[in-house]
Amino acid sequence: MNTYLLQLKRSPRAIAGLAILLIWIFAAIAGPSLLSYSYTEMDMNNQMVAPGQEGHLLGTDALGRDVFSRIIYGSRSILTIALLTSLLSSIAGIIIGFTAGYFGGIVDTIFLRIMDILMAIPPLVLAMVVLGILGNSTIVGLTIIVSIAFTPATARVARGALLTCKSTEYVDAARIRGESHIYIMFVEILPNTIGPVIVEITARFAYSIMMIASLGFLGVGLQPPTPDWGMMVIENKSLIRAAPWTVLYPSLAIASLVIAISLFSDFVSKVMINED
Amino acid sequence: MEFLKRFAKRLGFTLLTILAMSVLIFFLVEIMPGDVAQTVLGQSATEESVAALRDRMGLDDPLHERYLRWAGGFIRGDLGESLYMRGVQINTIFWRKVGHSVVLALTALLFYVPLSILFGVFAGVKEGKAPDAIISFVGLATMALPEFVSGIILITVFAVGLEILPIASIIPIGENLWQNLDILVLPALSITFVMFGYVSRMQRSSMVSVMKADYIRAAILKGMPRKYVIFRHALKNALLPTITIIGMNMGWLFGGLIVVETLFGFPGLGSLTMSAIKTRDIPLIEACVLFITFIFVFATFTTDMLYAFLNPRIRYKRGDA
Amino acid sequence: MKTEPVLEIKELDVAYHTLTDTVVALKGVSLSVAKNEALGIIGESGCGKSTLFYAIMDYLPVSSSRSGEILFKGEDLVVKTPKQMTKFRGSKIAMVYQNPYSSLNPSLTIGFQLEEVSMFHHGMSRKEARQAAVETLSDLHLGDAAGIVRRYPHQISGGMQQRICIAMALLCKPDLMILDEPTTALDVTTEAVILDIIKELKDKYNMSLIYISHDIGVVNKVSDRIAVMYRGEVVEFGNQNTIYKKPEHPYTRALINCMPRAGVLKENTQLNTIPGYVSRRSAAETGCPFVARCEKRNATCEEKYGMVERKPDHFSACDRAYATDIPDKVLSKEAGSIPEGAEPEHKTILKIDNLYKYYGPHGKRIRALDGVDLTLDRNNVLGVVGESGCGKSTMGHTISGLMRPTRGKIIFDGTNISVSWRKRSPETLRDIQLIFQNPGRSLNPSFTIENIIGRPMLKLLGIKSKQKRRKLIVDILKKVDLGEEYLFRRPKQLSGGEMQRAAVARAFSIAPNLLVCDEPTSALDASVQASVLNLLVDLQKDSGAAYIFISHDLNVINYLSDYIMVMYLGRICEYGKKTEVGGSPRHPYTEALLSAVPDVDPSLKRGEIRLHGAPPNPTKKIKGCPFAGRCHRKVGSVCDTTPPPRVNFSDTHFAYCHISPEVLNSEISVKGIKK
Repeated sequence: MNTYLLQLKRSPRAIAGLAILLIWIFAAIAGPSLLSYSYTEMDMNNQMVAPGQEGHLLGTDALGRDVFSRIIYGSRSILTIALLTSLLSSIAGIIIGFTAGYFGGIVDTIFLRIMDILMAIPPLVLAMVVLGILGNSTIVGLTIIVSIAFTPATARVARGALLTCKSTEYVDAARIRGESHIYIMFVEILPNTIGPVIVEITARFAYSIMMIASLGFLGVGLQPPTPDWGMMVIENKSLIRAAPWTVLYPSLAIASLVIAISLFSDFVSKVMINED
Repeated sequence: MEFLKRFAKRLGFTLLTILAMSVLIFFLVEIMPGDVAQTVLGQSATEESVAALRDRMGLDDPLHERYLRWAGGFIRGDLGESLYMRGVQINTIFWRKVGHSVVLALTALLFYVPLSILFGVFAGVKEGKAPDAIISFVGLATMALPEFVSGIILITVFAVGLEILPIASIIPIGENLWQNLDILVLPALSITFVMFGYVSRMQRSSMVSVMKADYIRAAILKGMPRKYVIFRHALKNALLPTITIIGMNMGWLFGGLIVVETLFGFPGLGSLTMSAIKTRDIPLIEACVLFITFIFVFATFTTDMLYAFLNPRIRYKRGDA
Repeated sequence: MKTEPVLEIKELDVAYHTLTDTVVALKGVSLSVAKNEALGIIGESGCGKSTLFYAIMDYLPVSSSRSGEILFKGEDLVVKTPKQMTKFRGSKIAMVYQNPYSSLNPSLTIGFQLEEVSMFHHGMSRKEARQAAVETLSDLHLGDAAGIVRRYPHQISGGMQQRICIAMALLCKPDLMILDEPTTALDVTTEAVILDIIKELKDKYNMSLIYISHDIGVVNKVSDRIAVMYRGEVVEFGNQNTIYKKPEHPYTRALINCMPRAGVLKENTQLNTIPGYVSRRSAAETGCPFVARCEKRNATCEEKYGMVERKPDHFSACDRAYATDIPDKVLSKEAGSIPEGAEPEHKTILKIDNLYKYYGPHGKRIRALDGVDLTLDRNNVLGVVGESGCGKSTMGHTISGLMRPTRGKIIFDGTNISVSWRKRSPETLRDIQLIFQNPGRSLNPSFTIENIIGRPMLKLLGIKSKQKRRKLIVDILKKVDLGEEYLFRRPKQLSGGEMQRAAVARAFSIAPNLLVCDEPTSALDASVQASVLNLLVDLQKDSGAAYIFISHDLNVINYLSDYIMVMYLGRICEYGKKTEVGGSPRHPYTEALLSAVPDVDPSLKRGEIRLHGAPPNPTKKIKGCPFAGRCHRKVGSVCDTTPPPRVNFSDTHFAYCHISPEVLNSEISVKGIKK
């Protein structure tokens, strides 16, 4: 564990990424209780107030709602859903990918074919169509659908990680002392794939943020009045000349969060993969 | 011989994928909650008119018959009739928009493929040095941004700030895309942002691993100059994985198109899909999604063949020496 | 042969720098190679032999430093710029590498890769270069040179690939050719052919050679003089006979005594081992590099002794090899170490009957085992030898249950176990243990040694108490020379030899009756190999278990086995007692194999049988004898059409061959070792 900290110390990029991520997590947990405006509060006297004026740090939108408050509240849903999706899709991916890769043969062939077919629809399109048809997305619905859309990809990664371990002799040794399949898969192999799995989870976290923001932008994400960064962008798009802050700040919020996670996950993948 | 076999096998599988996809899309869309006819006509419609529409749409027929009718129409080139725009044949609007999107996608490809290969190779050759660090960071940052975020940033700079490019990609009535090429630039750049990061990073890592290969060492120690080794020995091997990556990401690109076209109001397949979903125009959704799938499958097939053709290890079988 | 040296290295130092410290890779290396001389460099992994060759070629990583002189025909290469170096590389100094396949660019034709050398160095046109390439290829006895240049590397066999690499090095008629383990990845019969070619070309073109290898036997075959390296220093330098017969440096002597070699058998000799392990060398160290592990060290060794010409043309950094103040370790075992009275029991433990194993899809089936019969008694070691693809590993894996035989029976202790591990009883699983080639891969890196050894005890012996298990584990660890402190270590914290000993401990922790060893020492250095072999011999004697010992190395097989089985393409060629197969081989393939074996003792002369071509495609069904296509004593078409009959020479010795038994029995003179 210490070596990871040491390597983290040497990587300013990773530190920056981690710091921004932690700020956002803090904002999501503690932020709302510190805010002076609620995210739904409309102030018809103060519409499109420029940043910094009238006590509105990042200004207000066309309905006079405080942009800063909405961004802080928005971080809650996006972080929650992204975290859940990256975990859920990784767990599902591990179970499916491990089963397919471990048993091989016809099971694996069928798995690969199904995955190829599912991957033919871009995850965004898949999620969009399903959410669009179902209408009224909730946090639970969004989480489940995005997780399903991601599972083919995570399952492939998990299968690949398993295959590199499956051919090793310690697996053979476990077999010929009569270990069960479950034992071999999850006790012998899983700990040795932890590197790629962690890399996948962190990378998936960034993808989830992108995906959820995009779905919100397309209007099939969380429904109003819940503040959603993507939705804030599309709602105010027409104001880009008149009140650019209403569009730009939510965009920058997304950008800072995804870039932060990517920087950190890049570091994780370097550390985890160089380890062997 | 080996190549032909692979070709036939892959082609068969490609067709199978499209078939499976069509089934999946059809059932996914058809099982949507609520009565389709009711949805189309609105809550105020009378029961008789709903029943009449159900009858006209054949909604009371068994599911498989409806699927066969729909798929049969597709094969004959009949995409059916739009539900939302009553009486409009999808064919009449669909292909023009597809054409626009293809032009947009090709423009983006034209931007990002050479750019990302060039920078990826450069970063790979300079592994661990300053140019590598800069290119890698830029790639990482652009890759992480959703298309609409980079789009907003581009709009703010080029349309709102510098005012040199249009803020929205609208083709005035009576004109066509070719008279308005400037509307392609910002959407294409938004896609380039994402794709550049992804492809250049892949290109970099394949270049790095090729440069560490034994045969590169052998070439250098044969006395070949470094530039020659990079271009003649390393590049071809390092490009092979990139071809696959670009092909695999055609699906992603078309997913991204939906976002980009929505942002810019670009009249293409993406915004068509979006409005179809918003208006619950089932036949149109089916047509759009199936077409996106088709593009992806076709791109994968093409790159796979290209890869096999360029890779002698697949093209020529190991012969008895 | 005293002429102006082609290459003269003087006091060469190379160090690698990491963020925190500096590791000395080469220290004060001085060597010279005369015209038309072949210099062999031997040493174990980490001794700096590859660094030496990279240093000569100026191909060191950025974070390294190099000082000293490398005089190539009087010019100092150390001061050359990279651009000037390209004039030397490939043209005046050429290289051949260990792994021919990865050293050839997979996406360029062989012709292209040959032509570019002449085009760059001699300014030839592509057409002239093609001509030159084809001519050079014919020097290497490659039949269809014009056809080969159009092929890609993956389309030809490993032996051919290495010849292409040698041809590439030869194109510019270099003054010096450096060969870095060029035959290590090849089979022993192919190796013999390649080594012959190297020798022939050296004389034909009056080249100098530097031949780097871990295997002193291979080096002996081509070299005039030998340099022994240890931890970045040359510790001894002299001609091959003196190095073997009168080594001056204790390391050289210890290393040679580690190696299984002709005349050294488990019955009469225990292999020497070198205590300790090779550690990284820091810049502060001054003394003899071997001092920490040397049994003959004295106070003066802490300071550098220095290379001294002890006898004409024989340099050594030490004079204590034959020192008398510390006597030599007694290497020979007492005669009759097998108790005379106790006649070895003839209880058959394993019987294999007509075993077949096919892999792969229909139509492309690989016939890995093609009808093998075998019986093995308790207390016996059966050595299985053959080249890659002969089915020896498949046989081991089938017996241990990793795979199910396609056809045939395996009877173990009276039970039919021709099934995969899943259908075997816990007793059978316990009774048959397998030791793998690569200990780094056979021990799960996520577990501690205690878990690794304890798991089979829990699973197969049902020892539930953790304390009880720990006690047993500590006992078994002691037996394999690992202390209690290893309990909580993970495989990555162990050296290769320690890992393999832990793997042996795991196998023996549950008292098996049959141990299948699949190339258990092939990945290890000579000194480490010796310790594992000694351990296996001792444990076998103590436990009375039977061994099936699979190896490609006939010296190892010969040292350890009671019986030897020679396999070729999934079938048995010859089987018999060690003395019978090793002393008077009857099958032509055994003859060829024996005459290809590299000897540690350079004065031994073996037969000159060379096999050409490659084994036939294993997916084709072979009607006759699988060896017929390459056999130097082929009888006639009968060899291709009819399976060879079994010919018995004694109760225990037989071969499958069409040559009449009388002829096989009479022509013993060409085989084996002639002193």
